[in-house]
Amino acid sequence: MTVATRAPSVDAWVQSFTEANNQDPEIQAHGKYFTCSYLLDMEAHTFVVRVVSGTIAQISVDPGPIDVPYQFAIRASAHTWGEFGKPVPAPMYHGIWAATFQRDMKLEGDVLVLMQNLRCLTRQIELLRSTGAPV
Amino acid sequence: MSKISPVTGHYVTVDVDGLEYKVFYLENGQGQPLVCQHTAGAHNHQWRGLLEDPEITANYRVIAYDLPRHGKSDPPENTQWWTEEYQLSADHYANFIIALVDALELVDPIFMGSSFGGNIALQLAHRFPERFDAVIPVEGADYSPGFYLDWWQHPHANAAQVCASGTWDLMAPQSPEADRWKTWFYYSQGSEAFKGDLYFYSVDHDLRGKLGEIDTDKCAVVLMTGDYDYLTTPEDSARTASQIRNGEFIEMKDIGHFPMSENYPVFKGYLVQALDLIRTKTSARV
Repeated sequence: MTVATRAPSVDAWVQSFTEANNQDPEIQAHGKYFTCSYLLDMEAHTFVVRVVSGTIAQISVDPGPIDVPYQFAIRASAHTWGEFGKPVPAPMYHGIWAATFQRDMKLEGDVLVLMQNLRCLTRQIELLRSTGAPV
Repeated sequence: MSKISPVTGHYVTVDVDGLEYKVFYLENGQGQPLVCQHTAGAHNHQWRGLLEDPEITANYRVIAYDLPRHGKSDPPENTQWWTEEYQLSADHYANFIIALVDALELVDPIFMGSSFGGNIALQLAHRFPERFDAVIPVEGADYSPGFYLDWWQHPHANAAQVCASGTWDLMAPQSPEADRWKTWFYYSQGSEAFKGDLYFYSVDHDLRGKLGEIDTDKCAVVLMTGDYDYLTTPEDSARTASQIRNGEFIEMKDIGHFPMSENYPVFKGYLVQALDLIRTKTSARV
């Protein structure tokens, strides 16, 4: 897997993130019940990621208002997501709990669904370290 | 050829506050007792690297116990503990450690604990300075609100995974993956105790305004905190140390909230500094 050196284009990221997830040994080993839809709000772009049984079935790019439903949202500035997209993130940009407690990240919506899928979701967000963040 | 570790395990009965516990502890080494407390919801395997480190155990008797309700230390033997919600108080936690030190007949031990073990280290220095040569609060601070959460035991989520993956971000990405996963594994085992432990960590523990009362002539205090710890940050521990007379603080780089478990080689470098500082301070007392 190549390491991103600058922000990938949106289209390239959608493809690489989907492939990274769908080929990830940990998610594929433990994702039998990893099924949910969530919003990634990266300020410059938003994405609704729809996961079915550990596989990313669809990533909707910049959906319109009330266009694509989702269960919870992970929101942060483009700067924060850019830091998440580095191979070795700096302190407080190394996970959604860290950035929520100490930076500008917000976890919103039905957080219970996030908690129900926390193991695989944590790994999925860490895939940004190899794909980079598209902002 | 068999590979048998020099680390041995024992049980000791501890009576404290009307409760009887059978406490499991691991130990190795000879010299000044170095009593080690694991983090909330975990157990003494977090100290596996230290327990088998010949350079440390040449001069210290490393004792890593499981707090009751953790690992191999059962809940109280003499109460219907299942009829009550577990909420660890600062009083009982501190009294338990004193009772354990008495039961093991330890003389002038150093106490080291991480996270809720770091916070109780500060409580011990405040309450019982005559009982310890020094304390090493790791990832500790005067006050650490915000982690007493219902998510750790929510019946609609997988508590084992919420506890284990909810604490994953407390570790640094630089720490070896295998050691982070061992730490994750320990956290998947302790969800029933974790929330009650955090009642102490985030609610009952509050030494704000009291740090100046710690008698460091009797008990030296050396705090150590990793820069990837989002819960008790280096700034929190530095603030705490600055309010303790002759308090010391060591910031640990590229490591997180479970330093002894997530990356022992990096932690050890800082621990040696702390032990050297303590030796300097205690030898100056005579």
